Amino acid sequence: MGIFKGAMTLRRYHAEGEIPDDFRSVYAEALNEHAFREPRNPEPGQETVGWCQIHNLLDTTFDDSSRWLYNHYLTAGLRIDKKVLPAKLFKAHLDKKLQEWCAEHGREKAPSAVRREQKELLEIQMLARTLPRVAVHEFCWNIVDGWVLFHNTSDAPNDHFRKLFRTTFGVTLTPLSPLDLVSDDEDLAEGLELAGISDYRPAPIAGVEG
Amino acid sequence: MTDNAAALPHLTAEFFVWLWFASEREGGTMDIGEGVGLIDFWVDERLSFRSVDEDKPRAVLTGENTSTSAEARAALASGKVVRDLQVHLRREEREYTVTLRGAHLDVCGLKFPQHAVDGEDELLYERMFLYEDVWAVIRALYRRFARERVSESWHRDVLPAIRSFAASGDLPDRDVAETAGAFVRASEE
Repeated sequence: MGIFKGAMTLRRYHAEGEIPDDFRSVYAEALNEHAFREPRNPEPGQETVGWCQIHNLLDTTFDDSSRWLYNHYLTAGLRIDKKVLPAKLFKAHLDKKLQEWCAEHGREKAPSAVRREQKELLEIQMLARTLPRVAVHEFCWNIVDGWVLFHNTSDAPNDHFRKLFRTTFGVTLTPLSPLDLVSDDEDLAEGLELAGISDYRPAPIAGVEG
Repeated sequence: MTDNAAALPHLTAEFFVWLWFASEREGGTMDIGEGVGLIDFWVDERLSFRSVDEDKPRAVLTGENTSTSAEARAALASGKVVRDLQVHLRREEREYTVTLRGAHLDVCGLKFPQHAVDGEDELLYERMFLYEDVWAVIRALYRRFARERVSESWHRDVLPAIRSFAASGDLPDRDVAETAGAFVRASEE
């Protein structure tokens, strides 16, 4: 599901910022600079965020603009990787390691410094063998009209998106407010702001307490 | 643009109620102007409600005739707020299904009519055209709601009619609905 096929699920943004005349080359460079890169030393639970091409999440170079720029529409994917260790398996391995240490050193219980050290070593070992949880959320930016569609409506990916978009393009994204739909009509916008909240509950029948 | 996108979040919830009510009141067809004109629209197979002070759904109704079900009206009458609703839209020969959700008017599960074009570029242009087509309708519907919401007829005619609809399923007489519509049309001019 996304920009090119299937049903669309998206949040709309207003994009505000200057578009450079040579935006094709400027944005290619910016996208390359902020493209997704595998972390060298991942930590458990750490999220790694960057751009990828919309066609394949492994394509993270933007030199060929025909892969991401369609006339005045700029498209890319926000890739978010997170390595998470399976908690039960991790604990089971850690218990085994500590039992081995205790047997080797003739101790009943491993001191906390040893526990911490064994835990860190095991995390490094297991993270190296664990595949990340990968999510890709596409976006489409209408550069001429100044709006952006981001293919996700959850807060966390949207926060990542706005932040990286601003860092990459120098353009600020503001999520749609319904008031924006009437912003060209001052009276209407002001009327709505003052309108208060309607109560749709039926009025109580006279003489009946409720 | 407003600084706080979620400013006045109750407005989207009120818009959803109005959409639901207006589709019943107008018999599913409305001239919404704004360069869009005549459209058909109705609440489709999903309507969910939340409590005023939380976001997760408290009641989710799915299936046929959701909008006319006693359960949906009871949820509204009990003070719950519409969290999201699935709407079917028809503009000229193009039909869309979309679920509108939340304070930012998020568009969820938007389904386009069948479209077959050659080439990646054309496919994107076609899908963006269809998206903008739907967005123009949503925008025009919202503006129509806004005009009714700030008009004198809101408290006099529309709100009592929605309360009556919530309580019993009764819809206003055609002349009352026409009065509200006429007032709004006059405001547009």
